[in-house]
Parts: sequence; structure tokens; C-alpha cells
Amino acid sequence: MRLSDLLGAEVVDQAGRSAGRVHDVRLVQDGPLIGGFGAGLRLDGLIVGRRAVGARLGYERRDMGGPLLVKLAAGWLHHDGRYVAWDRVRAIEPDRIHISGLISDLPEPEPSQ
Amino acid sequence: MAGRVLDAGLHLLDRQLVDKDGRLAGKVDDLELTFPEGGGPPQVTAILAGPGALSRRLGGRFGAWLEAVANRLRDGDDDHPARIPFAVVKQIGSAIDLSVAKAELETDRLEAWTRDHLIGHLPGARDAPE
Repeated sequence: MRLSDLLGAEVVDQAGRSAGRVHDVRLVQDGPLIGGFGAGLRLDGLIVGRRAVGARLGYERRDMGGPLLVKLAAGWLHHDGRYVAWDRVRAIEPDRIHISGLISDLPEPEPSQ
Repeated sequence: MAGRVLDAGLHLLDRQLVDKDGRLAGKVDDLELTFPEGGGPPQVTAILAGPGALSRRLGGRFGAWLEAVANRLRDGDDDHPARIPFAVVKQIGSAIDLSVAKAELETDRLEAWTRDHLIGHLPGARDAPE
């Protein structure tokens, strides 16, 4: 599987409702040791939302600093951002990911660094 | 979460690859994710670089065209993107530092092929200083 198979895919809950698309994929460096890098990167979850503008700039995370006006605009654009822990992923199809539970159960993304 | 937390798109995609001698060695165009044999969440096992990897991210007709060109420029039936095992990644910062030389990477294949088969045949190509 490639990262590009996940990015942009639509996330659908068990009731068939769309939570938006995958804007980013969260990794945690606590996997098995991998060469000189140390602990490997484990896929922890998906950052999902309905609006893509600014997601790759980091403004989807709540603690992101930066120009106030940009932050306010991005905050408005991304108020629907949600985090899908990997253990909720049930099936991966081309351009669509099925998850367990409902959209209303999904938390907001935590800051990454 | 005990380990460092990274967002793949924000902290890895499109970052510059730098080899052990400080030479630029391409950019991160995609990541290979592998499910462990014993089960559990996928792990990042390789960086994919070059037009063959970028084309899938771009998608559409331009992506298909770019992939066809990348495949044409490679030898034989080798149609996979350049793969850099994650074991040679030394550090992730504003760039991705590698522990090997650029010439040892698959990303160097396309550049070498273009140099030998296209640029090398241009009039005056052999006059350039080293």
C-alpha cells in the first residue's frame, strides 16, 4: 500500500455517512527497529475533513501558530476536522475507506509536534 | 503516544532528500506502507521518489502521461518507482538525511540513463568541465 492510496480517499462511517476526505496520515515513531533510523514509523491514524484548503500548511492542528488572520480563516475552514484512529479502519477500497462507529464519535486531531 | 509524532503529508511529502555527502538526491513523492506479517498497523518501509511515484499522486491524464514517460525512460520491464528503504534514513528535519551515497540509490537510475542516452549524445556534451 502507498500513502497516496490513503490521501484524498473518502472516509465513510458504518451508517454510510461521509466524514470527508483524508487530508493527512499520522505516524508515530514507536514501531519495530528499522536500520539506522531507530524505531520505525507506525501508522497511527487519519486526519479527515471536508475542506482541504490549508490542511497541508498545518492549520488543521489546533495549536498551529502563524499569522492571526490566516489562523482564523483556517480555523473556520477546518472546524469539521476529525481524527480516525487506525484500529477503526475496517476496509480500504480505491478512493474510499470504511470505518467502524459513527462520525459523531470521532475526536478532533491532536497537535502532531 | 511515546514516540515522535509526524504527519506524513506535512512532515515528509515533498521534502528534499540529501545523501551522506550532502548531495541532493530527489524528493519524497510517496511512501510505501507495509502490513506486518504478525498483524497490526502498517509501518513505513520505504520512500518512493521520482516521476513514477509522483504520477500516482497527481492522478488524471497528466499523471498517466508522466508515468508512461518515466517507464519509457527506464530500462526493460522495470516499471516500479525508485524505492529508498527506510533503513537508510538517518534523520527527518527540514530535509531528509540519508546514510548512503546518491549513486547507491535507485533514484540515480533515471538521471544516469538520461545522462548516458540523451545528454551524452548532444553535440559538445563531452566538452563540459567536470
